[in-house]
Amino acid sequence: MAIKKWGSALVCFTLVIMLAACGGGNGDNNGSAPASENASATVPPATESASQAAEEEELVPEPGAKLVVWEAPEQLEYMKEIGAAFEAEYGVPVTVEQVAGGDQGSRLSTDGPSKTAADILTLPHDQIGLAVKAGLLLPNDVFEEETRNANVETAITASSQNGVLYGYPKSVETYAMFYNKDLFPEAPKTWDEIIAFADTFNDTKQKKYTIMWEFVGYYSYPFIASYGGYMFGDNNTNAKDIGLNKGDTVQGFEFLRSLKKILPMNAGDISYDVKTQLFKEGKLALNIDGPWSVAAFKDSVNFGVAPLPKFPNGKDSISFSGVKSYYVNSYTAYPVAARLFAHFASSKENQLKNFELTGAIPANKEAGEDPKIKDDPYVSGFFQQFANSHPMSSVPGTDLAWEALKATFVSLWDDPSLDIKTSLDQMVKNIEDGLAAR
Amino acid sequence: MQSKTIGAVLSLVLMGLGQLYNRQWGKGIVFVAAALVGIYLTVFQLYDHLHGLITLGEQPSGFVKVGKMMKMVEGDHSIFLLIKGLIALVAVLFFLCFYILNIRDAYLVGRLRDEGKSPATFRKSLAALGDKHFAYLVLLPPFIVITFLTILPLIFSILLAFTNFADPILPPANLVDWVGFDNFSKMLNLKVWSSTFVGILTWTLVWAVIATATTYVGGILIAVLIHQPRIRFKKFWRTALIVPFAIPNMISLLVMRNMFNNQFGPINGYLQYFGLKGLPWLTDPFWAKVTVILANMWIGIPITMILAFGVLTTIPRDLYEAADVDGAGARQKFRMITLPMVLFSTSPILIMNFAGNINNFNVIYLLTNGEPVNINYQFAGHTDLLVTWLYKLALNQSQFSFASVIGIVIFFIVASVSIWSYTRTRSYREEDMIQ
Repeated sequence: MAIKKWGSALVCFTLVIMLAACGGGNGDNNGSAPASENASATVPPATESASQAAEEEELVPEPGAKLVVWEAPEQLEYMKEIGAAFEAEYGVPVTVEQVAGGDQGSRLSTDGPSKTAADILTLPHDQIGLAVKAGLLLPNDVFEEETRNANVETAITASSQNGVLYGYPKSVETYAMFYNKDLFPEAPKTWDEIIAFADTFNDTKQKKYTIMWEFVGYYSYPFIASYGGYMFGDNNTNAKDIGLNKGDTVQGFEFLRSLKKILPMNAGDISYDVKTQLFKEGKLALNIDGPWSVAAFKDSVNFGVAPLPKFPNGKDSISFSGVKSYYVNSYTAYPVAARLFAHFASSKENQLKNFELTGAIPANKEAGEDPKIKDDPYVSGFFQQFANSHPMSSVPGTDLAWEALKATFVSLWDDPSLDIKTSLDQMVKNIEDGLAAR
Repeated sequence: MQSKTIGAVLSLVLMGLGQLYNRQWGKGIVFVAAALVGIYLTVFQLYDHLHGLITLGEQPSGFVKVGKMMKMVEGDHSIFLLIKGLIALVAVLFFLCFYILNIRDAYLVGRLRDEGKSPATFRKSLAALGDKHFAYLVLLPPFIVITFLTILPLIFSILLAFTNFADPILPPANLVDWVGFDNFSKMLNLKVWSSTFVGILTWTLVWAVIATATTYVGGILIAVLIHQPRIRFKKFWRTALIVPFAIPNMISLLVMRNMFNNQFGPINGYLQYFGLKGLPWLTDPFWAKVTVILANMWIGIPITMILAFGVLTTIPRDLYEAADVDGAGARQKFRMITLPMVLFSTSPILIMNFAGNINNFNVIYLLTNGEPVNINYQFAGHTDLLVTWLYKLALNQSQFSFASVIGIVIFFIVASVSIWSYTRTRSYREEDMIQ
């Protein structure tokens, strides 16, 4: 019997430890008014209109600051260099942790509040809607002017949410047309040229195809936007106005369907791996892809990058563009150092360095004028296409639109019996229902 | 007043007092110390935690401008409050159990004294701990760990179904609230959710039945086949057929994903080589379902096969010899001896497989990722199971509360099927058939 007691004694100690462990830091924030919070030690409240510039010069990292940065594997080396340079300049050590690009947003939502996330991370702008809603990002306030002046308008718009700038732009990207120079001395300018070429080149036995792209909402946008449709109203910022069935989108999809004769397969058969492999082997003449794939083809195929082809209605292809920016975790222990780092990393020089090391296209205006960019055979194609692009939407509800658009795009392609108009209307209704259900 | 009553009452007043009264000084002191710590924490901490658990926070985090800088002011994080509240609750339950045990202990030791025996010394108690009650001592740490690492997260995820924790209500900038059964009624009544839910639920059950039946029957057939006395190179066949099980299924599934590609995959390549047309393995709703079942057979058959081998070797030889004497043919021997024995021993596995297949995340997620897409579904495709849909809802769409509702539904299906079918197996009712 006594034994049982002993066992129970153990339980008790465990319990004591448990209670003690979760006791800390809970009773001290019973709705204390934010205003009563002390101002941060480094920046005194601007009681007088002290010159802002002077204040910025005073911006020094917190003593003992240590920063952690999340970076995707393909840019790890670049980030380590930036970190070392930052440490040399400010004396703040920077640790780079590898987190895949697509995971950083979701990791932040759990790790941020539990104070185990990085201080600075990179997000594609379509993910910041959620993060801002949850209050996980600090606005880009101190360097706002500089950031606005230095970077292209699209990048600023994309890194903002509800008119507040959050990001420090890193790179811009959109997709364009990779063409095999051995097959096309000159890149085709219109879809008609491509269809004509397909008659001579396509060969299903040999697995030779003229053009491929992945069947997801991202790549389907030209068939919508070039025919007057759009994802959301007001430059993809107004979720109340869904435009995926507006304008002549039905014609756009009719044209899409007509392409099935030059790409006779179901949407699910075209995966990134498949088309990359075919393009490398020269069995795929044209590949719609983004700057992230340049490195994969550089050594294996003689190719160029050109803007997307013109549609039969005479309109240029309007692509979706993405902007990657650095963001500061709002739970960072060193908000000043983190801001300094984000600003430092998004400077013109460092954006160019990123381009040199990884091929990422700068968002910085001056960097875009740099001969390195101007004379680069691959980047110029993306650059021209970027001028004809709409930034992806980042408003709440974008995820619904992506899902629905992919489903519709694929179904219309695979199943020729589906009526386009009804499917599009149904898709818009699904998105609206989904939004209403939230 | 007898010692047992006095001891029990004193221990009720304060844990350990009864033990002290019983002259068990060491134990008494330890108990009193534990009681004081426990009571202190209960008095000063419990209220906050329970308050947090019930209100789920009152002040979300926000930003305040300091000079040019926005600074975050930390508020309540509903989800953390929920977890901490649960931990506190469980800890208090432990404490209460301990308290009750201590009263019982004081009573029992008091009764010993009433009978004129002397109570155990502290040293004796310690010795008894490692001797008579060793089992409790060993089981206690795992029990505590399981409580906090398994049971508590389970309760937490169940509770999420009763909150509105779904995009756009995301902490820390927003407070989550309790909403009762709202999510369940939405799941059943809102067309957006209900049509997807019913469709996926149907396919999940169909898939679970077919996937279980195919792997089970296939595995047993192959095992019996290899076990035939006239088959040669038994070892080789066994080894060869276990290989699919030895390769991590993540790898084999991703390889299959490429193999089944209808334009560029080797499978259709071979079919075309023989002049056949090939099939839309992964892009047609019906064929994609066939493909996942085939792939699952490849992965699942070896497991049943190994089990069946084990059973086959335990069947007593003399049964067959007796059958030979009676003039039974091979077919009769199989029907009357082998099959009942194998089915009897492996039927519990059938239930486990069924439950496992309902939640067979890997096969679906890695092979098709739920595709081909379905226009009429909300965030799901034709081959999505409830569990992969749950994953997509939680991880891609931040619809945590709905994901939790689905989790509860899955739990009910698996639990009810398992319990029902297990109680109907012969191995449950006639435990004594095989000694």
